[in-house]
Amino acid sequence: MNKNEKKNVLVKSGRVIDPEKGKEFISDIYIKNGILAEMGENIKAKGKEITEIDAKGCIVCPGFVDMHVHLRDPGFEDEETIETGTLAAVKGGITTVACMPNTSPPIDSESMVKYILEKSEDAACRVLPVAAMTRGLKGREITDMGLLAEAGAVGFSDDGRCVVDSRLMYEVMRYSTQFGLPLVLHEEDYSVSRGGLVNEGRYSSMLGLDGISSLSDDVIIARDIILAGRSRAKIHITHVSTRGGVEMIKKAREGGLDITCDVTPHHLFFNDSYLTSFNTNLKVKPPIRSEEDRRALIEGVKEGVIDAIASDHAPHLDTEKNTTFRLAEFGTIGLETLFSAAFSKLCREEKISLPGFISLITTSPAKILGIDAGKIEVGKIANITVIDMEAEEEIKRESFISKSKNSAFIGQKLKGKIVCTISKGKLVYRRG
Amino acid sequence: MLSKKSILDADSLSLEDIKLILSNADSFLEISRRDVKKVPTLRGKTVINLFFEPSTRTKTSFEIAAKRLSADIINFSPSTSSLKKGESIIDTIKTILSMKVDLIVIRHSDSGTVKMVDRFVDIPVINAGDGKYQHPTQALLDLYTIKKRFGKFEGLKVAIVGDFLDSRVARSDMNLFEKMGMDVTIVSPTMFLPEDFSGMKVKHCIDDVIEDADIVYMLRMQFERQDRKFYPSVMEYNRFLTLNMDRLGKMKPGSIVMHPGPVNRGIEITDEVMDTSGELAEKIVIEEQVTFGVAVRMAILYLMLG
Repeated sequence: MNKNEKKNVLVKSGRVIDPEKGKEFISDIYIKNGILAEMGENIKAKGKEITEIDAKGCIVCPGFVDMHVHLRDPGFEDEETIETGTLAAVKGGITTVACMPNTSPPIDSESMVKYILEKSEDAACRVLPVAAMTRGLKGREITDMGLLAEAGAVGFSDDGRCVVDSRLMYEVMRYSTQFGLPLVLHEEDYSVSRGGLVNEGRYSSMLGLDGISSLSDDVIIARDIILAGRSRAKIHITHVSTRGGVEMIKKAREGGLDITCDVTPHHLFFNDSYLTSFNTNLKVKPPIRSEEDRRALIEGVKEGVIDAIASDHAPHLDTEKNTTFRLAEFGTIGLETLFSAAFSKLCREEKISLPGFISLITTSPAKILGIDAGKIEVGKIANITVIDMEAEEEIKRESFISKSKNSAFIGQKLKGKIVCTISKGKLVYRRG
Repeated sequence: MLSKKSILDADSLSLEDIKLILSNADSFLEISRRDVKKVPTLRGKTVINLFFEPSTRTKTSFEIAAKRLSADIINFSPSTSSLKKGESIIDTIKTILSMKVDLIVIRHSDSGTVKMVDRFVDIPVINAGDGKYQHPTQALLDLYTIKKRFGKFEGLKVAIVGDFLDSRVARSDMNLFEKMGMDVTIVSPTMFLPEDFSGMKVKHCIDDVIEDADIVYMLRMQFERQDRKFYPSVMEYNRFLTLNMDRLGKMKPGSIVMHPGPVNRGIEITDEVMDTSGELAEKIVIEEQVTFGVAVRMAILYLMLG
């Protein structure tokens, strides 16, 4: 990022997609002093301090919203920081990230929410903290959810952990209704998943790797649907990975529950047959599931059961991945490949419409979190991403600017590349 | 020469490579029966026995095989190394490579580790058992044992009995047995089987196969590899899976009993069967497997380094 980047930007002749209004049109966009000042054909901007971007043949859309990101800050700054994580985000076209609370200390207090908000003031993109549901993420006591909400938390989650105590989960749900914020739920039954490394099925058996049955997700999703039915809480199932999960969420929503869900690009992209390489970057939680599950996720996106795509960006050091499969940490980075990985599968392979796809990474997650983002609006601070849809590249380890390099997509050819990103009104990323 | 640099799993062993190893084993078996059991074939070659998991049989078998071929073999096990000081496995491998060795034999308690190591090194690697994944040299010596007894593979009926899911031996054996045209049935209770075993031939009780099998392959109950014990009890095991005298007596003429060792007496096989003498004792080929193991590993080392 060049901090001295000229303040005024003219994006010429792009195909603008407005996912909110469901419109597509060719237009110039003029950003003056950080504000989206003008939209229309043949804008003649005056003044010397103008960066012009030729967006002919490119898509121009709202900056993406990634509602599931681990920035590792504070506590694990050797893996990622707010600074490096947001630079990686804007390289991926993302201008808003919701960061998860499993930092050290965790985001379970007012002061921690403020720390994130203050430290991210100068960051390349907007950072919105998701605060812990339970103190210390321990699953025993409810956090000061009211104070956390007032301090600026956009949701609550014990992500990475599941609240085992059903009564406590029920009380968290009931209490959350006072504040109207969503609960972002990581669904895992530890009595099922304990010791497991990969999806339980044909490949776990072939590879001699202990399995994590899809029952692990499904049992807790079923429980939380029951609890949400009683409490009327707004729940969001994150990184849904199973056919059973998609089916239950669909039914629950049809039954009138305020339930949403997201899926990661890696669960859409891979199935467990890729594990035969023992590539530790594919060791994630929930695990990469069977082809049958992957198909159900794709269909879930097509049918509108799945509301959003989120990266679950989980940076880890080389030493945590360059080890045996059993000892390696769970997680893949995903900010820089969020668009291209999902676009390659959903639009190129599955022929999902581009505006529909764009809404999954803009307006839809913004709506779930209740934030003002993911739109193109004249008069507002500009958050815009320009994409070259025809570009294709093989993902290389060296190309990542995230502090960690543990990408499941290394070696894969992905379509669609971010040309530039305007975040918080500034041109913060331009393709080299 | 073998078609691949390393032996990592049974799956990637070609039919030609398998045949080559088995035919070479004959001449190495002959060497093991001589008074002076040593040939200069691999003089000047250095082999590392890198055992991250305790092992007696396999480690000794490789050691004897290498020594009979005059290779220098060095045993390296984590208890005596710097691994406990937090050295990574990759660093350990790099250190060993710096000493210019010619081949690494690896055993590790984690599945897939040998494949991972192989990607880091240019020299040949032999998987001597990794986690629950593979144990290809065991499967090769099992094949050789079968070849010596039956002189053929095609159409032989094999029953693999016991904890299939946790067994690297079963995984490698099943692959090679099927590759050689044998008819494999797995005899295992549900908790030791994949969730969906519809693609496999499965029975749940040894009595269902005992009269018809040419080979009854008893797996070691891997209590040490199960972190959760779902199998009810030894008594239950004895009722459905243990090879006892009664069952041994029902086996057809010429049929054999195999086991990768060490046997848990009273669990997989009863004391009476283990200590039986006379005609029925001829069926138990567990010691032959060990003898042939040395010859097969000599053949492998020779074909990879010679």
